[in-house]
Amino acid sequence: MVIEFRIKKCRHIITLNLIGEKKMNLMADILLNVTVAFLVGSILFGLQRKVMARIQMRPGPPIIQHMLHTLKFFIKETVFPRTAAMPFYVAITVILCAIWVAAVIIGPVTHGPLLLLFAIFAIHKIVEHNAGSSSGSPYGKLSCVRAVFSAAAELPLFAVLIIVFIQTGTMDLNGIIAYQAEHGALLFTLPLTAMMFIALIISKSYYYSPLNITLARDIVSGFETEHFGTLRGFIMISEAITWYMLLWIFLTVFLGALTPIEYLIGMVILTAIVGLINAVTPILNPNHSIMTEVTLAFIGIVGSLLMIFFL
Amino acid sequence: MDLATLGGQFLGTIPLGDIVLYLTTFNLFMFGAALVFTAIIAMSRTESQVEAEFGTLNEREKKVSKDEFKIRRFLSIVCGLATAGAMITGDLFNFTLFVCLIGIVNIGIVAAVKEVDVLDSAFQYGIIAMIATLPLFGGAASILATTGTISLLELVNIPTSAFMLFSSILLFIGVAGESGVAPFFATKAEMFRTAGSPFLVIIHLSSLLVIVRTIEILLIINKPFGV
Repeated sequence: MVIEFRIKKCRHIITLNLIGEKKMNLMADILLNVTVAFLVGSILFGLQRKVMARIQMRPGPPIIQHMLHTLKFFIKETVFPRTAAMPFYVAITVILCAIWVAAVIIGPVTHGPLLLLFAIFAIHKIVEHNAGSSSGSPYGKLSCVRAVFSAAAELPLFAVLIIVFIQTGTMDLNGIIAYQAEHGALLFTLPLTAMMFIALIISKSYYYSPLNITLARDIVSGFETEHFGTLRGFIMISEAITWYMLLWIFLTVFLGALTPIEYLIGMVILTAIVGLINAVTPILNPNHSIMTEVTLAFIGIVGSLLMIFFL
Repeated sequence: MDLATLGGQFLGTIPLGDIVLYLTTFNLFMFGAALVFTAIIAMSRTESQVEAEFGTLNEREKKVSKDEFKIRRFLSIVCGLATAGAMITGDLFNFTLFVCLIGIVNIGIVAAVKEVDVLDSAFQYGIIAMIATLPLFGGAASILATTGTISLLELVNIPTSAFMLFSSILLFIGVAGESGVAPFFATKAEMFRTAGSPFLVIIHLSSLLVIVRTIEILLIINKPFGV
């Protein structure tokens, strides 16, 4: 499904195209996809909070609350801690935003290689680490140490994409989509791999995730604690895009080519499931969180390889 | 299988004598990321850690001294450049050398700190890194012995044998030990408790980027299961 619309006084037709057909100017394609990623990601976070609130018998905040929060930070004063490591403290938020914009370009815009998305996720972990430590705050520092721990568990979860490579023979997103068009959705061929990726999605969920130890509330706001004003706004934009991209990768890699409406439905369902899990589970301590992720990664990798070779 | 299957568009090679660097979208992105971080680290000052003192209303501020700052910044830049080199080298032996250099400077970055717990952690990591050099170089040497080449551009066209698979496992164990990832991460994480955020980030950066590159290299060598 392709949606076309014409901007007033603009001679070009803009094509809203979330599955990567090359029908418009690349720059317009990038701008449009990044904007969609931010808006959809923000609203999905709002939806997640709404689902959690309703399960806990609360009315909950409006569904656009995360977006309002993000925009609010851009009109707040930006202050810098006296103890911060400048200019790293500022640069890290720009890098965080830049890598996830790059992820949108590699994913929905150009359908590039999955290995590159894996590299972006690795850099995301580094940014989490340094955003925490660069302020000098003890809460940020704890989040930084936890980011190092959690990287050891989250990277194997993201590395399940290697199993997709073994099954399909390609890292290219177009190739994976073509494989699924011929052989059926990978969700049914590699269910354990999909389960691992969902565990990763849960660990990156912003609000009260049982596995997200870097943003756990016992350390205030984790690595974000000492970032204020515009810097916090950039971090929140990046988080919305991160959420959108993780869901987008899951849907594309495990279900194949979808229309924009199907993507949206898939993202809403996944966000609601994550909201349900977050609402009914306690936040795990770092050791339990890591061991849960490592155990899931072990079961998933061994189980998936056995399924590929013996089923 | 070709390199473009893994890393996106093949952009070309840079022949430097027997060292042939090759560029795909993936390698170029990783190389650029390592250089950007190195540049920012080179121009950043360190943070001060402020902690409340127990039993009083005072606070304690931990700073990095000027001498310590100079040596740690130098080692961080070396680490960043070694990481960038490991990202685009097309030669397996050079890759192992870069990884080994990363391990050595990582220990150096932390060894300059005068805190007992952090030094203990660096010492333990150092032992693991030293032990890991044997499987690291052994893996690369075994691949050379099996195939007659350590050029990744050549290895991608050579069918995988059982010994190449064994060599790859050795190589992976070596990289895991050198970069201090799971199951060795517990030792390394303690190193991050000290002050000097820009220098600590390069330790983490080098580990994660090297692991991602290693996955690419292992897939190039093994072409898993007939892919």
